[in-house]
Amino acid sequence: MTDNTIWDAVSAAFSLLVSGDAELWRTIFISLRVTIIALLIATPFAIWTGYVLATGRFRGRRTLIVLLQSMLSFPTVVVGLILYLLFTRRGPLGAFHLLFTQDAMIIGQAWIAFPVLAAFTLAAVQGADLRIRETALSLGANRWQAALTLLSEVRFGVTASVLNGFGRVISEVGCAMMVGGNIAGVTRNIPTAIALETSKGEFAQGIALGAVLLFLALGMNILLSTLQGRGGGK
Amino acid sequence: MTALFVIEQFAKRFGARELLNIPKLEFERGVSYVLTGDNGAGKTTLLKALAGLEPANFGAIRYQGREVGGDVLGELRRDVVYVHQHPYLFDTSIAANIAYGLKLRGIAATQIRQRVEAAIEWGKLGEVRDTPPQRLSGGEMQRVALARAWVLQAPVMLFDEPTANLDHASRDRVIELIEQAVSENNCVVVACHDHEIINLPHVRRLHLDQGKIRPQ
Repeated sequence: MTDNTIWDAVSAAFSLLVSGDAELWRTIFISLRVTIIALLIATPFAIWTGYVLATGRFRGRRTLIVLLQSMLSFPTVVVGLILYLLFTRRGPLGAFHLLFTQDAMIIGQAWIAFPVLAAFTLAAVQGADLRIRETALSLGANRWQAALTLLSEVRFGVTASVLNGFGRVISEVGCAMMVGGNIAGVTRNIPTAIALETSKGEFAQGIALGAVLLFLALGMNILLSTLQGRGGGK
Repeated sequence: MTALFVIEQFAKRFGARELLNIPKLEFERGVSYVLTGDNGAGKTTLLKALAGLEPANFGAIRYQGREVGGDVLGELRRDVVYVHQHPYLFDTSIAANIAYGLKLRGIAATQIRQRVEAAIEWGKLGEVRDTPPQRLSGGEMQRVALARAWVLQAPVMLFDEPTANLDHASRDRVIELIEQAVSENNCVVVACHDHEIINLPHVRRLHLDQGKIRPQ
């Protein structure tokens, strides 16, 4: 592709975005919807898991931490493959007719986000001052109230975990492609659309979607650095 | 009369090191105790054990006649306030730090505001009340932590080196607390090296040496 072609594609992408191209905005909407719901499902469990692994003293804790950290590098396409085998008509969960639906994408993205959220929360809680929990308990907090206080004190680390989870799943293509099927207007999200448009030679659409992804990533980073700045370098 | 705390055959170890080994020790209401001993003698471990923050390897602690654990642990933590040698202040305002324990006890918001104001006055924190806690000096942090403990009017207060960073006026507040405990039938246990406190009349002195209580 020549410089001219790239420039043409970029200007066409800009025109597409500002013209309110319905298909483009539908794809962006699907991406955000699936990612946000997946995070809403994964976040409470992941934060609880990270907290328990950081503060609990039980047999098998170290093994679970190693497993969790290994899950961070689990290829998303393998997550997609496993879910595909579970959701396919003859699979064990075939009766639920989840394959090639947004629900399947949400399940896949929640699975992918979970280890990122849990591992970051684990690190944030492990790095927290030991006196936080002791202070909360000695002022009359029960275990749950002490846990909430501790998580609130490390809220910048927990927020970073959510933003990192968001970054991981919004840009993920392997699982979304396998369990979503890239159906226009139904399960086509930004990354799968970029892959498709590029393969068809429709660079403008691909670049427009890529720009949206970059914009979202930039927005998240600005949010993260603002929050960390407010944390006073804690 | 039942002792407030009864410690029996209590042992706390960290690896091969014995942090605390107490065959029997009692703490009574209406008495203030001063714990002395070198660094590493076990003073902090004993205070944390009394606060229910340091479970024993062996033995038990009974609080008001019942072994600490389960429901008793919850009750103990509502009655007993422990202040660290270097206190931790939550990353909120000073007023919210002081209100923390009151909120946990379900006290009405208007009453919380009044009691927080009284605690700010008591700790002479008016000048720094709008400063973020992390920007306070060591002495100011200590005063906030003491006010946060004082506001709860808890029957048992445990202080770990409370006067190390304090000016004279603030130290007088700690001495007041120690003396008040006797008149109000409460119990204060202070671990310190401060001779002014160690030599106070009416306090019962306990000396720890390598995790064991030694006669003075």
